[in-house]
Amino acid sequence: MSLTGAADLAIDLRDVAKTYAGKVHALRGIQMRVARGEIFGLLGPNGAGKSTLVKILMTVIRPSRAEGTMLGHALGDKATLARVGYLPEHHRFPDYLTGAQVLDFYGAMANVPRPARRTRSAELLELVGMAQWSGKRIRSYSKGMRQRLGIAQALMNDPDLIVLDEPTDGVDPVGRRDIRNILQHIKDRGKTVFLNSHLLSELEMVCDRVAILVQGLVSSQGTLDELTKGRQRYEIEIAPAPAPAPGAGPEDTYRPLLPAIQAAGLAAEIEGPVLRIGTTDPHAIQPVLDDLRRAGAVLKSVRPHRPSLEDLFMQAVTDPTTGEILTPGAASDKKPARKEPGR
Amino acid sequence: MRQTLALFLDAYRELNAKKLFWITMFISLIVVAVYAMFGLNDRGLTFLWWTFDLPLLNTKTIPADKLYKFMFANIGIPIWLTWAATILALISTASIIPDFIAGGAIELTLSKPIGRARLFLTKFITGLLFVGLQVAVFTTACFLVIGIRGGSWEFRLFLAIPIVLVFFSYLFSVCAVLGLATRSTIASLLITILVWLVFWGVNTTDGIFILQRERTRLNLERTTRTVERGETLARRQIEKARADGTPVPGIDTPLPAGAADELEAFNALLHGARADRAKAAQSAATWQRWSGYMYAAKTVLPKTDETIRLLNRYLLTAEDLALFNPDGRRRDRDNADERADFGDPEVARRAELAVRDRSVLWVLGTSLLFEAFVLALGTIMFVRRDF
Repeated sequence: MSLTGAADLAIDLRDVAKTYAGKVHALRGIQMRVARGEIFGLLGPNGAGKSTLVKILMTVIRPSRAEGTMLGHALGDKATLARVGYLPEHHRFPDYLTGAQVLDFYGAMANVPRPARRTRSAELLELVGMAQWSGKRIRSYSKGMRQRLGIAQALMNDPDLIVLDEPTDGVDPVGRRDIRNILQHIKDRGKTVFLNSHLLSELEMVCDRVAILVQGLVSSQGTLDELTKGRQRYEIEIAPAPAPAPGAGPEDTYRPLLPAIQAAGLAAEIEGPVLRIGTTDPHAIQPVLDDLRRAGAVLKSVRPHRPSLEDLFMQAVTDPTTGEILTPGAASDKKPARKEPGR
Repeated sequence: MRQTLALFLDAYRELNAKKLFWITMFISLIVVAVYAMFGLNDRGLTFLWWTFDLPLLNTKTIPADKLYKFMFANIGIPIWLTWAATILALISTASIIPDFIAGGAIELTLSKPIGRARLFLTKFITGLLFVGLQVAVFTTACFLVIGIRGGSWEFRLFLAIPIVLVFFSYLFSVCAVLGLATRSTIASLLITILVWLVFWGVNTTDGIFILQRERTRLNLERTTRTVERGETLARRQIEKARADGTPVPGIDTPLPAGAADELEAFNALLHGARADRAKAAQSAATWQRWSGYMYAAKTVLPKTDETIRLLNRYLLTAEDLALFNPDGRRRDRDNADERADFGDPEVARRAELAVRDRSVLWVLGTSLLFEAFVLALGTIMFVRRDF
């Protein structure tokens, strides 16, 4: 997706920082671009600053430094929020209200005229599967129902940008699938979705682009293809021989092939019965497969492999020098912060 | 405007869901029912079908409508609405701001296109809805009782609504800001009640100081009158002595021991009376000074008691109030010579007049300034806070 013009961007953060109590650096200069019409995922370990960033976008927290725009307007511009929908993490609706009253109240707070509120309320309750619960008080709702209602609430003003903080929190698998479908529906209508979630598999399924936040900095961002570029490969697995020689394993079948593979300019790695070849080109592995067949190996599987979001995440939270997982939480004056990438 | 209306509608729904709101409303109506059961006939006070013979309280001495108005302005409003119902209202509304800023709730509201200052102040005003509705229902019911039972349709009764609302707003502003600062309903409620007790203490002290000042002033006036009468008597005796050719001590002969002048020489009681007057003058000056200090202290605080007593000013004249003081009707106030004490009806009357002399602008203006200061503090906190 092209991210060249400012008009294409729903969110364009050039330098956003937040320091609490003068010493806890929750955000240390965020740079992030979210294109219009995409589903963008924000991930990171606990205390990385994800919620702080979302709250700064929604004017719940005042930034220490904020350079950037949201929907073309400076961050913190209250009028822009009329075009933004938001579902906070652990949101709490007044339990004396019914589902329909919640939508009406937050719709009015978002400056939606009364006739539009009535129409949208009915449509959205239908969309999130809560139509039959619209007249019931919130106190009788389950966590999943509250979450569905929360999403409907975030859509009341027909926003151009929807910011969802852990939308699938407490939702069962069926509910998660429904929420994914709703997100896709929103995207199909040309809206932008900014998603903050711990559920990497969920993000992987719906996001066009992601950013990984670690200790208040964007560690990496882009499409999954961009982020895994150079790390994609083919994995070949052979079945164990019916009567192997004593002490012999599948790797002994692979080993004679390695010089030829490396001579072709490809990286190769053997791990048990699996041979990994550093290419995404199916033509490049055909000679290897031919050689394996000639050697009498039975091919069990041949599959292209792309690192998962979890792999990327783990890589991002691992200290490259020590190989240890970085301490969770924001950087403080007492705790040494990770070296800023590219600085 | 759409957002403001939404906040008010939400506040009403919240009240509607609170049991305490309906319990308070029910008790209010019971109070009005009891109020309606009282009556006055030519023998005395009546309650349902019983009559209590009271020679000083019957329709011959007091019109029935004035009794109802007196009960409304001195019992219904100051005791029920400004103490009991206010405590219930504080209990019921103390949670408004802590709930409003609780995690998960405030994020949703702050993410809407509404300024923080407007949001906080609107939320504060919606918090007054509890008392607004309670006092409106109570006053309307009392208005009907006075009209039907007392035969007087007193529209000035409805002044109770803004007066009680203003009174409650002083306390609720403190409660709201404490709720914002502590995030705790219990802490904000307890500290607000404590602050209210401080206001009440200052008001009570001011009332005592005013009584003292008026008592000492009255004593000064009375001792001055005694001295003037003694001097007049002495002068007449001197004139008579001159006419008779009798030598006048201090003029014709030396003064006798203990006499300061020829008047004291002729009137032995004058010396003591003058000493009493000097003491009374000193005492009056002392209490004048102390009540001045208290007035200054009160100026910067909300005047809870005087705000409520404004209703008395508009519903009952000082003369109407005197009807309810049998001593005040019986005694000759101006010609009494004895030393005034706290129970002296003239002291009470003067103290009441002194309080009534304080301007409405001072009573409400300075109190609202205090409230504006507290709310400004709260607004700054709310605008600057990260949630």
